[in-house]
Amino acid sequence: MISRITYAIDQVSKSIGHAFSWCGLMLVLGTCYEVVVRYVFNDPTAWAFDLSYLMYGALFFMAGAYTLSRGGHVRADMFYRLWPERVQASVELVLFIVFFFPGITALLIAGWGYGTESLRIREVSVNSPAGIPIWPMKMMIPVCGALMLLQGFAEVLRCIQCLKQGSWPSRLHDVEELEAQLLEEAARKRAAGQGAS
Amino acid sequence: MSDPAVALWMLGILVFAIMIGFPVAFTLMALGVGFGFYAYFQPAQQFFDNRVFYLLTQNTFTVLNNDALVSIPLFLLMGYLVERANILDSLFRSLQVALRGIPASLAVATLATCALFATATGIVGAVVTLMGMLAFPQMLKAGYDSRLAAGVVCAGGCLGILIPPSIMLIVYGAMASQSVVKLYAAAMIPGFILAGMYILYVLAVGMFKPHLAPPLPKEESRLPTAQVLVMLAKSFLPLAVLILSVLGAILAGIATPTEAAAVGAFGAAVLAAAYRSLTWKALRESMVLTARTSAMVCWLFVGSATFASVFAYLGGNVLIKEFVLGLDLNPITFLLLSQAIIFILGWPLEWTEIIVIFVPIFLPMLPHFQIDPLVFGVLIAINLQTAFLSPPMAMAAYYLKGVSPPHVLLTQIFSGCMPFVYIVLVTMVIMYVFPQTVLWLPSVLYGN
Repeated sequence: MISRITYAIDQVSKSIGHAFSWCGLMLVLGTCYEVVVRYVFNDPTAWAFDLSYLMYGALFFMAGAYTLSRGGHVRADMFYRLWPERVQASVELVLFIVFFFPGITALLIAGWGYGTESLRIREVSVNSPAGIPIWPMKMMIPVCGALMLLQGFAEVLRCIQCLKQGSWPSRLHDVEELEAQLLEEAARKRAAGQGAS
Repeated sequence: MSDPAVALWMLGILVFAIMIGFPVAFTLMALGVGFGFYAYFQPAQQFFDNRVFYLLTQNTFTVLNNDALVSIPLFLLMGYLVERANILDSLFRSLQVALRGIPASLAVATLATCALFATATGIVGAVVTLMGMLAFPQMLKAGYDSRLAAGVVCAGGCLGILIPPSIMLIVYGAMASQSVVKLYAAAMIPGFILAGMYILYVLAVGMFKPHLAPPLPKEESRLPTAQVLVMLAKSFLPLAVLILSVLGAILAGIATPTEAAAVGAFGAAVLAAAYRSLTWKALRESMVLTARTSAMVCWLFVGSATFASVFAYLGGNVLIKEFVLGLDLNPITFLLLSQAIIFILGWPLEWTEIIVIFVPIFLPMLPHFQIDPLVFGVLIAINLQTAFLSPPMAMAAYYLKGVSPPHVLLTQIFSGCMPFVYIVLVTMVIMYVFPQTVLWLPSVLYGN
């Protein structure tokens, strides 16, 4: 039951993270278009600069919860990784409650006032006369806070599950860094080689 | 308790929480909000009227709007695309054939391949694992000492975080309010000095201790020069042109780093397509990994911005600054001490954490000791090479161990890395004695 909930939340974070990762492509194409029209045709756009901020902001901000679900936020695991899994889970559980939830809740609540105010006046960018709306970016702060809280809840469930069964439950299969793929492959080959010999 | 004393507690709890392994971004944010609530507390105020909440959203929005950080996802994307362009095999093969005649040619070819590839990708792990699977077995087969071979792969793979366009310098620039363009110009010559010293060291080993790096057997048929040139033109040239045009556009001031990075990412996609590797899967993987790594870096900024402003408001910066200035150090001692601290921090921590959390503590003191922030930044970038190479947290060594044959021990890899750690330290001394190596190119390009 617990793992059904954590998988469902992981899936939500993953879908949103994957969807917003394509903002990276928009960022590349938008900026390249601007480079061509500015330097080749000497006719810069009014919107490319603001677009690049919007895309970059959406990219990293909306991927925050997804990165959390993949364990991708940087940590110093020099001691952490030496501990038994139950100890890891209990430390993490306490720190999620003491650090993570208060900080992110503050972001959500304060960001809500900040974002809705911007939405109310339909705030636009002052960088250019094109009037690119920037309220979506400010609204992203509370939305992202909510997503982070949801994913944090899943991480807490995962800690509890680990405390119960003594080992970390498996995560969703997903895109991995190339080195992680290669290392996994090498380990599998080595295990297979030992089995055969 | 006085406010600066509270600030010291804040720093102490931060260090403790980081050491027990909680994600740094959230630790910073929580401590910033918690201590900020205390710092800005006014009894008459409603709970949510406390200024810390305004500070938190304002800082978050500032990171969303940060000029220098926009280029990070673009450089990352360029790196991930090059990584998947399936170019490394042919690059290594052509350099190996081209360098065949010289001593320790396999090791030199490995270093050159690593330097070029790592510069384009800027990601340590992938280069070390890929070269660990490609070049490392070949060197072992050719009778190379396994320690030397391991050191070459690890040290070469780490060059990408130093040689521009590197993400680390962007992050330092954002923290130290330095122009990324100037930092890139400043890091060029030291980067080449370091890579050059690596190559010289390997050449010297090949000449004076040939039993560690035996020459390749002569009887293997030599390819005609024309064929070698064609091989180089197919593998070495496109990647070199990509990097040089991105860097050239930035350094010559033709384009901003963001624009150059965007064109570079586009170029990397074209390159991958030319090598018939631009599959839907490769594109999607690159996008997703870019999003994840950018999120990691930028959330650190979100956390650290709030932490740093509360820490400064409580007077923590002033306290530390007065303490250090009270020690009455001369500039050399200060520089040695600060670099030694960063060197030691590099054992347990990653460069992101060091630059975002600890480097800002030193930055306000630089004017007092008349140290140029460019020199300091490049020194740090070189210094942190050792973070990947020296135990216990030498990431490069662990990556290599993961893909190398079982008889290669982790301790052998570590001891193979040590000569390269010494070379890094020597390079830092050279830079300190001759700061022109850092400052000459920026001053020629941009005046003062």
